[in-house]
Amino acid sequence: MPAMPLDGVRVLDFTWVVAGPVATRILADHGAEVIKVERKEPPQLGNRKLGLQCDLNRGKLSVALNMQHPRGVELAHRLAAKCDVVIDNFSARVMRSWGMDYESLAAVKPDIICISMSGLGHTGPRSSYVSYGPTLQALTGYTMLMAEPDGTPAGYGYSYADTCGGYTGALAALIALWNRHRTGRGQFVDLAQFEAVTSVIGPALLDIAANGRTQPAPGYNSQEGPAAPHGVYKCRPLDGDDDRWVAIAVRTGPEWRRFVTAIGSPSWASDPQFRTLYLRMHNSAELDANVSLWTAEHSAEDAMAILQRAGIAAGVVENGIDLCARDPQLKERGFFPAVATARGTTTNVTGIPFKLSGGSGKVRSIAPEVGENFDYVLGELLGLGRAERDELVAAGAVWP
Amino acid sequence: MTEPAALAGLRVLDLTGHRAQLCARLLADMGADVIKVEPPAGDDARRIGPFLDDLPHLDRSLFFWFYNLNKRSLTLDLNHSRGADILLQLARSADVVIESYAPGILDRLGLGWDTLHRENPALVLCSIAPFGQTGPWRDFIADDTVLTALGGMLYINGFPNHAPVRPLGLQAYHSAAYYGAIAVMLALLARDRTAEGQWIDLSMQEATAAATEHIAGAFFERGEAEQRRGTLHWSRFFRVGKCRDGYIMHCTLGDWTSLIEWVKSDGKAGDLDSPDYQQVMYRYLMAEHLFDVLDDWVKDYPRDELLERAQLLRQPYATVRPPEALFDDDQLAARGYFVEVEHRELGRKFRYPGAPYVFNGTPWRVSRRPPLIGEHTGEILRDELSMAPQALAALFAEGVI
Repeated sequence: MPAMPLDGVRVLDFTWVVAGPVATRILADHGAEVIKVERKEPPQLGNRKLGLQCDLNRGKLSVALNMQHPRGVELAHRLAAKCDVVIDNFSARVMRSWGMDYESLAAVKPDIICISMSGLGHTGPRSSYVSYGPTLQALTGYTMLMAEPDGTPAGYGYSYADTCGGYTGALAALIALWNRHRTGRGQFVDLAQFEAVTSVIGPALLDIAANGRTQPAPGYNSQEGPAAPHGVYKCRPLDGDDDRWVAIAVRTGPEWRRFVTAIGSPSWASDPQFRTLYLRMHNSAELDANVSLWTAEHSAEDAMAILQRAGIAAGVVENGIDLCARDPQLKERGFFPAVATARGTTTNVTGIPFKLSGGSGKVRSIAPEVGENFDYVLGELLGLGRAERDELVAAGAVWP
Repeated sequence: MTEPAALAGLRVLDLTGHRAQLCARLLADMGADVIKVEPPAGDDARRIGPFLDDLPHLDRSLFFWFYNLNKRSLTLDLNHSRGADILLQLARSADVVIESYAPGILDRLGLGWDTLHRENPALVLCSIAPFGQTGPWRDFIADDTVLTALGGMLYINGFPNHAPVRPLGLQAYHSAAYYGAIAVMLALLARDRTAEGQWIDLSMQEATAAATEHIAGAFFERGEAEQRRGTLHWSRFFRVGKCRDGYIMHCTLGDWTSLIEWVKSDGKAGDLDSPDYQQVMYRYLMAEHLFDVLDDWVKDYPRDELLERAQLLRQPYATVRPPEALFDDDQLAARGYFVEVEHRELGRKFRYPGAPYVFNGTPWRVSRRPPLIGEHTGEILRDELSMAPQALAALFAEGVI
């Protein structure tokens, strides 16, 4: 097997739910040995061998330590001393209560890197707030600005705060590791997911700060310069499913002319009200109604193909089946790789969105059951003999 | 005393257009020396608004400002052979080149991977393209909205039987930028061992698809396409509710007993005090009814009061706020999140969004405001390539810089 960028890096992973596991899965996919420290008790967040939990935890190891038991905590300390990175997504007080905060761990292992991906950060009057991705999105503006035309919040189908928090955590770990290679020093990273997701709202924040402008829900107005038509347009049903749409973005004059030709030069397109980009934006309701007449006669796939052939940005509004089973581009690039299950079958998981010419990341294995790597972690890594391990189990410090 | 920056000593050439500029910004914020290479007419991001005081100008684009803080600007015409040659010279001493041209363009400019790798074997090249460098859609084009459509991110927002709602904030681009920075750091860490650079082929469509946590899981576990559910989160533990003066986000993952005691004391618990609801699975199954009852409970509360009381009980509730509220947020203020950046030539200071993470040893920092167009062209070519004043003047006269 070719060398991976993070070969030899070991991560002690206290994270759970989504954001933290997204961060550590990126590290695991690129060679790090990620050891999840978990509870063997409920709540179980679903089947670990299939679906979301497999997707999030693939390629990692798991040991079930009872952190309510002093000897469980002691084992965690011994593990941390053998790791390069310790990562959690608890609120500030939790790791401290176990003596596993950065200062304590650095006293034992001076070059340790600790990353704490809490909701609102380790300092400040609201550091103790409890939060999840969807509640952080509410606090930052995402939930409010994803709205129906009348301003009613319309719902956010996923948790960008979680995935974005995850990337931020992975990037922080890599930057800290790179710096450690040069200076020999570790450090503590206080990553508030609230701040991470606030940072990627983008230029709208400067519009508030510099121009004092209130941000309306953008709807389908382009957020990257004037465009019209710009939006989603309903298409011909596919196998009885009439929830089919194509997204279209037309910007410059040449693009507009190519667009008109591609849709068969209908007479409405030469109406003076659509002559310039400004007029097309100004009269976008009328324009969108006309464009919908064309898309209604085409499948979303055909509309996309016709427009892309003419050099127009267009794409099927893909549902989960389109994305995972039909999209020819993702299929060709192998974006949902198969991993072997214990039963000799395979299941597919979300892939890695980039390839490296010197050896791409790899989904190494299916997710572990809670505590699955008991023998490796306690035996091989900590060097505890059979009798000692049995005794720790009997004492309730670990779950086998 | 200033701490050393995490990425001090790292030189990055940023050739990206407006779709991928956050990538190098993430590295610049941690101390990398990022040279933004723009065409002499200015980067396309400079023509994208909003503009300061709504006055369009290449140096007043807030869009450009956001993505180019901490970078230096070098104008260079890469279509001119002399321009491409200068870039190659700069690449010899750079660690990273990041680009977002359509696949094949870099080759046509004489700056493809083979050339760059030959000239500087340790160089990392990160290519960010809408669909990556291979596959049947390689030459297709897309903006952020089209990418969110093709990444499965768009379909799942909004109410059933209504049009899907577009995600806020260029999330396809931002997801790709984060993955780009991650990939660059991975390649740099690998280089510490191998002394070899790598070529990164990053697909924005894939980065978008990877940014929705549950769509693939639902398909590969149950063969289902996730549907739009209004504000009910797919996990069924969150939904937006309406208070007297605005919206809040309910959450039923906190301690159920204390929540329901509170609702009961307001006389609004209905059937929610039945022991069945103690089970998470029952709350999951009954989510629609449960949130209807809670909606009726919160409707007369002021939203800030509801939030304060909920958090005292460690209930993960939140208010649904507009982004303007962030500028008055006491938590962000206490942590010094927003940073003042002085634009001396304008005689003004502006509050920029700050660090996504707080490094205690090698902090995130603002080292310079976003560059004016070509602001550092002369000094970079003079200092890095030892160009004589006459040579610079000639390049300028010819429109290469």
